[in-house]
Amino acid sequence: MIVFKNVHKWFGKLHVLNDINLHVRSGEVVVICGPSGSGKSTLIRCINRLEKFQQGELYVDGQALHDHSINLTKLRADIGFVFQQFHLYPHMTALQNVTLAPVNVRKIDKKEAVALGREKLARVGLADKAEAYPAQLSGGQQQRVAIARGLAMNPKIMLFDEPTSALDPEMIGEVLDVMVQLAGEGMTMCVVTHEMGFARQVAHRVIFMDAGQLVEKGAPDEFFDHPKTDRAAQFISKILTH
Amino acid sequence: MLINFNFRVIWEYMPLFLEGLRNTFLISIVSLILALMVGILACAARLSRWKLLRAVSIVYIESIRSTPLLVQIYFFYFGLPTLGLRVPELETGIIALMLNSGAYIAEIVRAGITSVPNGQIEAGISSGLSYTQRMRFIVLPQALGVTVPPLLGQAIVLVKDSALLSLISVLELTRCGQELTSERFMPAEGFLTVAVLYLCIYYCLKPLAGWSQKKLIFREEY
Ligand SMILES: Nc1ncnc2c1ncn2[C@@H]1O[C@H](COP(=O)(O)OP(=O)(O)O)[C@@H](O)[C@H]1O
Ligand SMILES: [Mg+2]
Repeated sequence: MIVFKNVHKWFGKLHVLNDINLHVRSGEVVVICGPSGSGKSTLIRCINRLEKFQQGELYVDGQALHDHSINLTKLRADIGFVFQQFHLYPHMTALQNVTLAPVNVRKIDKKEAVALGREKLARVGLADKAEAYPAQLSGGQQQRVAIARGLAMNPKIMLFDEPTSALDPEMIGEVLDVMVQLAGEGMTMCVVTHEMGFARQVAHRVIFMDAGQLVEKGAPDEFFDHPKTDRAAQFISKILTH
Repeated sequence: MLINFNFRVIWEYMPLFLEGLRNTFLISIVSLILALMVGILACAARLSRWKLLRAVSIVYIESIRSTPLLVQIYFFYFGLPTLGLRVPELETGIIALMLNSGAYIAEIVRAGITSVPNGQIEAGISSGLSYTQRMRFIVLPQALGVTVPPLLGQAIVLVKDSALLSLISVLELTRCGQELTSERFMPAEGFLTVAVLYLCIYYCLKPLAGWSQKKLIFREEY
């Protein structure tokens, strides 16, 4: 589904992605962790082409992203992206947030879109908040609307960039629950997160990044309990003491 | 002082003042509508991908904003005829006001557009919305709220700036005060009346600003 082959990316002189090789299969849940600034966001932002890269090959759902003639709209329509800061449209209700892209990108009928939007909102437990504006919702609710917005496009892949890092601790659970359910339904997911519990529960693989390199990959329990590299061991001890 | 005031003359000249008021109003409205178009175009050029368009728009905006309006008015008044274009005073004045306000409006609109956080745009990109769709559904509606109040401020400035057209003998409100001065030598009466009439225009526009603020300003907190 997603294949990175020797991908390199630079921001000016900064080598943010250094020879990334990674294969994410359909239905797989991959958790990406690593210290701040290690390139995790950049990595998943390459997948829907929010970022370009300079070297290497990247295939997403059969499309070659290193090739410049790809259909970007179709690529992005099929990938949901959930941001750390939600980025809901503040001038639209939850329902309008969720139906905007289905109506304008998928070109489905307005009525149909409203039904679809309500269904997705119900799925994240917010059926009663359809008419609420983002500012009237808590952080956890906003993030769940953002997930519903992604799901409304019936995506093949969902990408999450630290979806719970901006939330108060008591709201993290409600968002993770939705993600766990999604993983259980067989969605292909790449999740940047330090939530070890989530990783152990649903991830098929954990990837550890440091300084632009993909340092270690492995099954979650093995990675957290017996990291192979010192860098990973150090990182895990840090998130444990937190 | 008020005792020496010659109200009879003000009354006698009232038809002239009302004509001036009407002209000032029409000049302002027409210039404002044209300036809005110029401003939006200049702003689009300023934010365009093409370097040349950007450069042209920057030169236009900066040269207008760095020179006095009066100089611009004279520039068109004396400049256009030397190019062989015979444009009447009124039209010359409207062109000058349009280009002047257009430059300020371009910057107001640009500030509105760039005030929309980048994350909003990235969210739109990520769901596959095209540039035009992002502009229409995400950026412009949010920019509108922050753009309208300064635009109304600019409209009020435009009304006051139109007074300078009196210097190229356009018969607008200020010019009426000058006529009263030169024909009857009654500057106090003339300009007080003029000032009161400008105040009337201002108080017609002000509730509009308040209304639009309530209607259009989009607030994060409720
Ligand atoms: N648009 C950008 N321009 C320049 N440098 C950037 C940009 N985005 C990120 N970086 C830098 O790239 C590095 C990796 O960033 P990021 O992928 O956001 O890391 P992470 O998500 O792991 O914290 C950081 O050092 C960051 O400062
Ligand atoms: Mg990040």
